[in-house]
Amino acid sequence: MTDTPDWNAYEAEAAAAAQSAASSDELEEARVRFLGRKSDIALGLREVRDRETGMLLNGVRTRLEETFDTRAARLADDELDRRLREEIVDVTLPGDELPLGHLHPITQIRRMVEDAFLGLGYEVRDDREVETVEYNFDKLAFLPTHSARSPRDTFFFDPNHVLRTETSPSQIHIMEEKEPPLYMVSIGRVYRRDAITATRYPIFHQFEGLAVDRGLTLADLKGTLLHVMRALYGPERKVRFRTHYFPFTEPSIEPDVSCGICGGSGCRTCKYSGWIEMGGAGMVDPTVLANVGLDPEEWSGFAFGCGLERTAQLRHDIPDIRALWEGDLRVLRQF
Amino acid sequence: MRVPVSWLRDYVAMDMSLTELATKLSIASAEIEGIETRGVADEGGNLGLFRIGKVVEAIKHPNADRLQLTKVDLGEAEPRSIVCGAWNFGVGATVAVALPGATLPARPGLPDGLTLERRKVRGEISDGMILAEDEIGLGADHEGIMVFPEIEPGTPLADVVPLSDKVLLVEATGNRPDLQSIYGVAREIAAIYDLDLAEAPGQFPVGTPGGPVKIQVDDYERCSRYVGTIVQGVTIGHAPLIMKARLLGAGMRPISNVVDITNYVMLTLGSPLHAFDLATLSGGGINVRRAGDGEKLTTLDGVERALTADDLVIADDARAVALAGIMGGAETEVSADTHTILLEAANFESHGVFRSSERHRLRSEASSRFEKGVDPQLADQAARWATELIVEFAGGTWTSWNDVHAGLPGRPFVEFRPERSDAVIGVETPADEQFRILGKLGFEQRGEGVVVPSWRARDVTREIDVVEEIARFRLEEVPFTLPQRREMFGVLTREQQLRRRLEDALVGLGFAETYTPSLRPDDETTWKLPEPISVDLTALRTTILPSLVEAVARNIDAGAKNIALFEVARVYLSGDGDLPTERVRVAGIVEGGFSRAKGVAETIYAALKAEPEFARGEHRLLHPGKAATTGAGIVGELHPRELDGEWGAFELDLEDLFAASREPITYTDVITYPAVRQDIAVVVAEDVAAGDIVAAARAAAGAELREIRVFDVYRGEQLGEGKKSVAFSVAYQADDRTLNDEDATRLRDAIVNALATEFSAELRA
Repeated sequence: MTDTPDWNAYEAEAAAAAQSAASSDELEEARVRFLGRKSDIALGLREVRDRETGMLLNGVRTRLEETFDTRAARLADDELDRRLREEIVDVTLPGDELPLGHLHPITQIRRMVEDAFLGLGYEVRDDREVETVEYNFDKLAFLPTHSARSPRDTFFFDPNHVLRTETSPSQIHIMEEKEPPLYMVSIGRVYRRDAITATRYPIFHQFEGLAVDRGLTLADLKGTLLHVMRALYGPERKVRFRTHYFPFTEPSIEPDVSCGICGGSGCRTCKYSGWIEMGGAGMVDPTVLANVGLDPEEWSGFAFGCGLERTAQLRHDIPDIRALWEGDLRVLRQF
Repeated sequence: MRVPVSWLRDYVAMDMSLTELATKLSIASAEIEGIETRGVADEGGNLGLFRIGKVVEAIKHPNADRLQLTKVDLGEAEPRSIVCGAWNFGVGATVAVALPGATLPARPGLPDGLTLERRKVRGEISDGMILAEDEIGLGADHEGIMVFPEIEPGTPLADVVPLSDKVLLVEATGNRPDLQSIYGVAREIAAIYDLDLAEAPGQFPVGTPGGPVKIQVDDYERCSRYVGTIVQGVTIGHAPLIMKARLLGAGMRPISNVVDITNYVMLTLGSPLHAFDLATLSGGGINVRRAGDGEKLTTLDGVERALTADDLVIADDARAVALAGIMGGAETEVSADTHTILLEAANFESHGVFRSSERHRLRSEASSRFEKGVDPQLADQAARWATELIVEFAGGTWTSWNDVHAGLPGRPFVEFRPERSDAVIGVETPADEQFRILGKLGFEQRGEGVVVPSWRARDVTREIDVVEEIARFRLEEVPFTLPQRREMFGVLTREQQLRRRLEDALVGLGFAETYTPSLRPDDETTWKLPEPISVDLTALRTTILPSLVEAVARNIDAGAKNIALFEVARVYLSGDGDLPTERVRVAGIVEGGFSRAKGVAETIYAALKAEPEFARGEHRLLHPGKAATTGAGIVGELHPRELDGEWGAFELDLEDLFAASREPITYTDVITYPAVRQDIAVVVAEDVAAGDIVAAARAAAGAELREIRVFDVYRGEQLGEGKKSVAFSVAYQADDRTLNDEDATRLRDAIVNALATEFSAELRA
């Protein structure tokens, strides 16, 4: 290194090379040439002996490094822009197929019922499905001549054992287990000797509510059912009561909910009445309270039962109840 | 019960619309399931197209031997030509005619009814139709054309016969036998609308004869009252048109005047009757007794029935002649030749009728009433009215009457506080209004309570039953309130929360939840239904998997992909006691083999914060070499004979799963002193189980070994015959310090030495 290079020209040449580099690779090449370990300035700096020259060369190198960094950032931006412009996907193509399962509609409704009653302060329970005649009929004050006691309506294993015909035995179980006040909903399978059709299946699910407290009235039952029906079917629904007869309630009623298809004006679903039957209900019969040792003058109660399949059919417009029992994935995957 | 509206109008004058009436009755009395038409539809001028005509000409149809060609004067300018297939009338007969455009009542095969047209029949114009009874719903037989006495031609037919009626379909509940009668429904309407109710027929004795009827009741428990009357010299024939029309409207077939009258009175008052042909009764009298075991009786439906000592029968001197309260016998029924009848109006005890009806699988209009309880005060009323009607419409002389009973029950008195109604119903009803409603229903206020009418005496025995009478008239006014709870709160139990988590975990793994029947064609259980409705639903299941196998098979047939099904349901196991042990289980089937199923089981356990304990297991649905127990059930690969391909399956008991759950979790500090991770591989003999290696490693390394998981099993020539390499990853961690390299080496040596000792394992890496 005999000739002292013209550092101004060097700097100008290097800056021009940086500016003219069209890609990060070209820029890197120029950086190696002008600022690399074997570049003139690197060698020059190694041989510097005086402070003045040192300051000069360091100044050149620092400015060039800034120039190259600025240019590098610019080129990186340009290249990212270019890549992003090229990387366009067909957003209408399907994504990766991930596993997704499905809760059965009856389970979904069971949870809605549970949540509605939890909100009202009820406990949730389930009880055995094989019952004694004592719990399924006797303690619920079924008359000896009630048609449900016939093997034509009920599945008997022997004269003393049946598949429960409703979730009502839960009323007796909880009243025998605990002292009032009691607020419970029992959900599970029940069995009736019905031929299989689009609307009936010999196995189905019920939810059964029971409240036992001081001073409960038919109005409390009406308000409770209104709340639950609105939870299941929407806030616009109305509820009415019709007189009925059940062995274990007195007075007994059947609650109707206003038809959601026609809004109450009458259609095929509601048989042109504007109302849809929801199940059975009433004030707990004093005999039932006495059967579990409660004083009917002190304690009163109300109870009600509804079918989950029926609820599912109405909520989802399922015409044939058998679809809920066949395990067909084409059905299950809709829910 | 089917209630013809014209029949109701005999007892209560109504002018409200039937739709409104149906709504009110449905709310306060009994559900009205529909309103139907009996006879000719009264809409769009249809009724006016049915008229009286006079036959002015009748010749044989020129082109058909079996047809008549008639001209009928209908009060119009010209008579009409009408072709007719019947020959029971001729010139001068007064007949009923339907004109073109008229629509006849629906009948089997013609649900909308036939609408007539003017058309040619074998080349001759037929401009209408001459009518038989059954064609317009007035009778059951197609015996011939109706022929009337002289009536002005052109008179609307509706003025002459009960051409059209509406029928309410009343679904009375079991506690309201009084609503299984026309008069009872009329009484409800009178109470709801505050209308006058006409006196019930047959209440007042008119010339009751004194002649005796031989009646002996052996069992007053089962037959509390038996009224018998005898009418001599009857002529069996048709009942009046109005009676037949109403019976048809009520769903009963007209049979003969006497039988129709017994049915007509039963439907009006609710008290069943039966007519015997007295000539067929040996000894000429009645004995109400228990049947002998094995005694035979052929009932009216032609079935010979073997009786038991629990059956109550009506008998003559020689044999049983009727199954009491259910059905008469074929040998003693009223026939065309009957001249003298013995009419029965009795009260049979409801449970006895129910048992016999069950035993013989035989229900009738009578038994359905007796089962619910018939008012004992009605028997004489029904007998009296029916006898009067028989004399009026079948002729003959009422010669004998007998009323046998062991004392009739009084009307019960029930204490009743009007304020109790308000307390139960939750809406106030003034006391005088309560007593007005009760009065309309036949209750009498007396002292601190009410006297119950005889027709409600079975149902209304307590104050709460009287309260219900008020409640059902106030249902529309009951407000919507919620209980004033003070001592309850609602929360899912730990088990209910974990069940939801389990269901959600399986959904997250791609399983679809299904529901299958708890009853199976067969299962190894003692809990089998002796009388199932189908062989498919016979035995309570002891395992869920077979139902899922069937569901999967159906899905394969339907072309489904990525099949994964689960169900949470009960199984019913033989228990020690009187009842089966019911356990809730989760079962599932998924495409893929053993390791897929095991992965699902491990994930279920992980979701529930529980540790499975796998050991070799067996289950009749699983591959014998690929089945394991988990501590809460089984997991494995489905036996190849169950389904084609490889399928994983599991069935786990929820109670056992939840018992193993560590919820709620206790926090472990894994941040302050990080874990040291290593991989170890050892070569062992083929028959050493991975689980045993893990167990031995845990025992050797102690509490500082926090995680160990086998991640690879390798077999290869360089390992030698009968050998395999098992690789596992471990994590060491202490609660009070960060473990160093020396610690890691110490723990690793402990593991390796233990494996060498127990399994002759050689360290590979």
